[in-house]
Amino acid sequence: MSEDTLEFLVGEEKSLRELLLDSDVLPLLEGALRAGAGGARVVNEEGEELWSESDGGGRGELLARLPLYLEGEPVARLELFGSPEQRDRLVPLASLLVAALDTLLRNNLKRVLTTEIHTCVVNSSHEELLRINADLARSEARYRELAENLELRVKERSAELKRAQARMLQQEKMAAIGQLAAGVAHEINNPLGFITSNLHTLQKYTARCCAMLQFYRERLRPDLPLQTLFEEAELKWRELKLPQVLADVGDLMAESLAGAERVSRIVADLKGFSHVDEAGEVRVDLNQELERTLGVLSHLLAGRAEVVKELQPLPPVTCQGQLPGQIFLNLIQNALTHAGGAPRITLSSCFDGERIRIGIADNGPGVPAALRGQIFDPFFTTLPVGSGTGMGLAVVWEAVLRLKGTIAVADAPGGGADFIITIPAKKE
Amino acid sequence: MIEYSEKERRMVLKLVYYGPALSGKTTNLLQLHDLLTRQGRGELMVLDTSGDRTIYFDLLPFFLTAPSGLKIKVKVYTVPGQVCHDATRKAVLQRADGVAFIADSSPAEAQSNFTSFDNLERNLALVGLDIETLPLVIQFNKRDLPQAVSEREIRAAWDPTGVAVVMASALHGEGVAETFARLAGLVYDRIDARYALTGEHGLTRDQFVRQLTSLKEEP
Repeated sequence: MSEDTLEFLVGEEKSLRELLLDSDVLPLLEGALRAGAGGARVVNEEGEELWSESDGGGRGELLARLPLYLEGEPVARLELFGSPEQRDRLVPLASLLVAALDTLLRNNLKRVLTTEIHTCVVNSSHEELLRINADLARSEARYRELAENLELRVKERSAELKRAQARMLQQEKMAAIGQLAAGVAHEINNPLGFITSNLHTLQKYTARCCAMLQFYRERLRPDLPLQTLFEEAELKWRELKLPQVLADVGDLMAESLAGAERVSRIVADLKGFSHVDEAGEVRVDLNQELERTLGVLSHLLAGRAEVVKELQPLPPVTCQGQLPGQIFLNLIQNALTHAGGAPRITLSSCFDGERIRIGIADNGPGVPAALRGQIFDPFFTTLPVGSGTGMGLAVVWEAVLRLKGTIAVADAPGGGADFIITIPAKKE
Repeated sequence: MIEYSEKERRMVLKLVYYGPALSGKTTNLLQLHDLLTRQGRGELMVLDTSGDRTIYFDLLPFFLTAPSGLKIKVKVYTVPGQVCHDATRKAVLQRADGVAFIADSSPAEAQSNFTSFDNLERNLALVGLDIETLPLVIQFNKRDLPQAVSEREIRAAWDPTGVAVVMASALHGEGVAETFARLAGLVYDRIDARYALTGEHGLTRDQFVRQLTSLKEEP
């Protein structure tokens, strides 16, 4: 309780004037006059008159002087005047007056003290409430600030996480490209190997042919008998094994050409798959994109996996060229990873007039219902730590989203997972 | 001190009876009123109560006059003991010259005693009074209870602190006047030097205490 809020000090001395009002005292004094007294007054201990009433025709003699007590201490006197003949009546009247004044005084004091302490308590309670209120306001401000900062910090963290996720997605894409490059290199290396080998053989064959031609050029002179030339040439022809060479050279050439064509087809597939020559959005046929993806994955599929195609004609889709390839590549690789010893991959496509629906199903163990909500989340993987980044299907999810499509996983008929991609499209 | 006026030759002192609810503070005042002579004390004023429990305070005034003519008025107050009336306790405690702490001897009330004393210490600090120097008497009331905590135990706990302890049974008037006398003596010691009660006013400690606590003659 601070000094300035305490207006009253409990126990402070009160003066009679503070406790009794004119309207308390004067009616009593007037009552005494009406009862026959000549005058009545209240005088304090110092002799100062506090209240007084008197008859017009003189007060008469002092008949009674009685003390008034405040908290047990005499503080004033009541004096009653009148004619001596009425003494017997007026003296008891004085006692009555003092009793009335005493009662008034006691009750007023009680009321004043009660009011004072009540006011004091209310003031201090109010003060306390104000202080509590201020404390609460301060603490509320602190919490609000904290909450605001918290929101900011959460935002910062979320942005950080998003950036990290974007980096992971990019890395996943790069890793997929790396794998693809390795596979493609292997694919190209094979025909290149036998083309090189054939060229070496052809180089030797050409040398022999040149040697034969050189022989003719040297021996074909007018002075030599033709018979000799013929016999010697026949001998040289056999020596150089030209009959075998001529029989072989056609095959070698055809084989090499086929190899070169295979390489150029792989490169064309790759270019088509990557859409490396195209900037911005292009119109693509998703069936063709599926075929190209199979093309670039041929090194993984050939002889190892059975691919079933149930493709129906589709309207073209306008999009970033590399997106469909990203989707199909990841889904087919995913199918190969999980399908086990004898993978069978079923590719299907159809168009219902509004949406293109593409299914990529495998004969693996399938995706348990409980995991279906999570498999497209970044970093989610069922593979042992270090075997997968958990980003493959996240890349797919992102690419499908950019095609304004949806992707879901269902059970394939006869077991396995069936990834179904739905993409809005217009009729031609 | 409530008031001191050199000119008016008047001094008003305040003593407060503190303690837990229902420990017998008002009973102490009622007994003082009955035991002491009419001369020198005023009427006991009991402010409004709620179900016989003090909610504001009770007041019993005493008067004495020093040989020098200095009028001394001693106002003795009780505070409401219930926890909820803390603001009232603080208001009554303002500018007190001495405190009688009325403790309950029932072992069940030990915790209430402790809480109330703790509250007294805190409130004294809040109204700017120092419990170390303020005249303080502790009264262990209700000694008549059969299960009352033993005096030996109480002495063992309080004697080392140097605080005056009085055993009482206020309901039977025992220890009531003694508590008041002990407190009055301590208050005299506190103010004597500063107001030159002995020197200028010719009022000795013994006179001061005796005038305040003169018992009625047995009939």
